[in-house]
Amino acid sequence: MLVIRRRAGQSVLIGDNVEIEVIEVSPGRVKLGITAPREVLVLRKEINLTREQNLIAARGVSPSAVLKLMERMRPDPPA
Amino acid sequence: MLEFETKYFGKVPYAPGSVIEFPLGLPGFEHEHRFVLIEQSINKPIVFLQSLSQPELCFPTAPVSQLCPNYELTLSAEDLFALGCHEQPVVGQDTLLLAIVSLAPDGPATANLLSPVVIHWRTRLAVQAIQADSPYSHQHPLLAPAPVAPCL
Repeated sequence: MLVIRRRAGQSVLIGDNVEIEVIEVSPGRVKLGITAPREVLVLRKEINLTREQNLIAARGVSPSAVLKLMERMRPDPPA
Repeated sequence: MLEFETKYFGKVPYAPGSVIEFPLGLPGFEHEHRFVLIEQSINKPIVFLQSLSQPELCFPTAPVSQLCPNYELTLSAEDLFALGCHEQPVVGQDTLLLAIVSLAPDGPATANLLSPVVIHWRTRLAVQAIQADSPYSHQHPLLAPAPVAPCL
């Protein structure tokens, strides 16, 4: 991984058409401005994680696996 | 009474008023807009989020209140708009929060607390609201480490 130090107001260029500018730095978070052509998809990574997780959850699970999980999640399992 | 085909329960009757509409779909399923909750006492605490148009698409979910009683939800302007709300809803009062459960055959069961499904009771609208600035995990372990595995 390439690591670059930047200050607010400075930029990084990726390829010919993508620019990422550090707009503001505050404790715990940074504000970025991204300039990219329309066809370049820019996503927060959380959306991708959610998509992947949804695809896993939707994948065929056997009814018996679901039953087993429900049994283990019940607050008072039968003695 | 209308009926629809489900993944785990065969044909199930449903009232048109029980349909939940996801105006934005869900990430990975952007074209799936209409779902019905299947909640049966025998299946507790799992609630199934079943697609109305695709019988094969059914998400097992668990109520967030049960996994994380003090869960803090913040909806983005876009999610509020999709839910037909003007302000942050009161969780447990006008909204139900469900975490989608993943059951990997070779791994532990986990719940996605990073992106809960938020269902608004009054509008019957729902979104999967990604909590980008939160500490919640997209793979929250659902079960404490198993005690002693039962001998079969």
